[in-house]
Amino acid sequence: MPKLITQYVKIIDLICTKVGRITMYGVYLMMFILVLSFVTRNIINFPLMWIIEMAQFTMTAYYFLGGAYSMQMGDHVRMDLFYGNLSERGKAKMDIFTSAFLLFYLVTLLIGSVSSLIYTIETKQKLFTAWAPYVWPIKVLMLTGILLMLLQTLSILFKDMAKLKGRKIN
Amino acid sequence: MAQYFSYEFIAIFMFVTMLVMMFTGQRVFGAIGFVSAAAALLLWGDGGIEMPYTAAWKLFKWYPMLTLPLFIYMGFMISESGIANDLYKMFHVYFGGVRGGLAIGTIGMMVAISAMNGLSVAGMAIGATIALPEMLRRNYDKRMITGVVQAGSSLGILIPPSVVLVLYGMIARQPVSKLWLAGVFPGLLMATLFILYIYIRCRLQPELGPVLPEKERNIPFREKIILLKAGIIPFLIFFFMTGLFLMGIASLVECSAVGALCATLAAYFKKKLNYKVTEATVRKTLGVSCMFMWIILAALCFGAVFDGIGAVKAIEHLFIERWHLTPWGVLIMMQLSYILMGMFLDDTAMLVIVAPLYVPLIISLGFDPIWYGVLYTITCQIAYMTPPFGYNLFLMRAMAPKEITLRDIYSSIIPFVLVMCLGLAIVMIFPEIATWLPEKLLSK
Repeated sequence: MPKLITQYVKIIDLICTKVGRITMYGVYLMMFILVLSFVTRNIINFPLMWIIEMAQFTMTAYYFLGGAYSMQMGDHVRMDLFYGNLSERGKAKMDIFTSAFLLFYLVTLLIGSVSSLIYTIETKQKLFTAWAPYVWPIKVLMLTGILLMLLQTLSILFKDMAKLKGRKIN
Repeated sequence: MAQYFSYEFIAIFMFVTMLVMMFTGQRVFGAIGFVSAAAALLLWGDGGIEMPYTAAWKLFKWYPMLTLPLFIYMGFMISESGIANDLYKMFHVYFGGVRGGLAIGTIGMMVAISAMNGLSVAGMAIGATIALPEMLRRNYDKRMITGVVQAGSSLGILIPPSVVLVLYGMIARQPVSKLWLAGVFPGLLMATLFILYIYIRCRLQPELGPVLPEKERNIPFREKIILLKAGIIPFLIFFFMTGLFLMGIASLVECSAVGALCATLAAYFKKKLNYKVTEATVRKTLGVSCMFMWIILAALCFGAVFDGIGAVKAIEHLFIERWHLTPWGVLIMMQLSYILMGMFLDDTAMLVIVAPLYVPLIISLGFDPIWYGVLYTITCQIAYMTPPFGYNLFLMRAMAPKEITLRDIYSSIIPFVLVMCLGLAIVMIFPEIATWLPEKLLSK
């Protein structure tokens, strides 16, 4: 494999791992926000108006930014009735072929997210709630997540191609 | 494309393409996402390109989805930290004297775990790592106990809390509190049927589940009482989570966060909360949450395309005007189609795609959507353990001890699936089993 590609795989895998391993602690942020909501609403009777939106933002960022890392760890289920019986090489071949479909989906997501972000910035869009936060920060995070997944998919594709040539990038 | 083909043809074509894509072994979300994105583009040209991303905003507004990562976290915290091990010991001692008693005790433990957990993952993990090796060591039949663990852990989605019922509630626009309460008795009924099956089977074939040796059972009365303490943690967690929600004190998402906090505190007080446990819990939570969320995201886009081509009307037309089905005929067709599709399609995706088509029809035929939610969940339980596509099967393969082969796993589920079909039929014939409790408690 050309050096450029091995470099790419190393760097992208590293970035996705780092981002994912930070994001995974986001579950504590969600827990904190919602327990805080429980306490302020019921015990000290001082409801906070940013709770719902903040929790929604955290959740969305959580699964978008964690997506690439979860793909790297192989956490996404596959129907393996047929696929499961393939050899390692067979799996790599099949993955190279079907990654085109995954890339297609991720690219449409990316196009949608870019045009949505541009619209949001041009119109200074806010959420229609009492707190009315700006929408662009979460859209930037979503765009980042989709982009990372796209880059991770390519990295996995390169690794599969290397596997076919009997080599391993790591 | 739309001007050349009928919408029915497009709908069927999309479905078939998706099933074919599944066979290629691409990630489920990738397969569904591709078919829906491509269909949107072909149907509506440039206007369709934003549909996949728009689904993310629909999902953003589904506030109750926050319960998903928190329940998953809770399940992993309970299984990784080993705070449920005492629970197994308790059932072990109390039921060891009966033939097949350890298997019966395992079902009991699964009910307790289900009351703390909204998915089947925690039950599977605890069952496969604690209960299975213990029972194997005591010469229990490996096929039977593999089935026990899979069937028992599937109670996690029927006994409250339940993530599947949260998702159903959002799609069918029904209150989650009612749905959760409706799951209680069908869940207990199902557990009772499992226990009856094990008991009768071991009466007939005692070699399947030998009685524990005298000296293992004969522990002092005092210690027996102390063992009951294992029930305290599940009870407290159930009270603070589901209890506070059903009493109307905590909101749905708040109760899941309180539950997650309780599980963490329980691990802390049992001195099991270290870096290794925390890291594994948090990492696995991210993985499983992402898997579910991305499947839902892709399936929402698929559903939006279906909605755009008027699939609800098409199904109604097919069932009622073309096939002349009675309301009960429609209902049975729906359940059959779930089981059939559940073999090839991931259950979460199936719910997101198919439920919006079926639920309006169910309501217009005069059935209770709460009861239907319970029926759906039981069907989902069955789908969880039937090959080729079942989460519990996947998990079992990954976690089972070595001496349990793939053959054992597949053949172990047969009697339990039959028992579950019986349970499903009972709840279909007697809807009160599901609807009585929510009506009694919530209609005032």
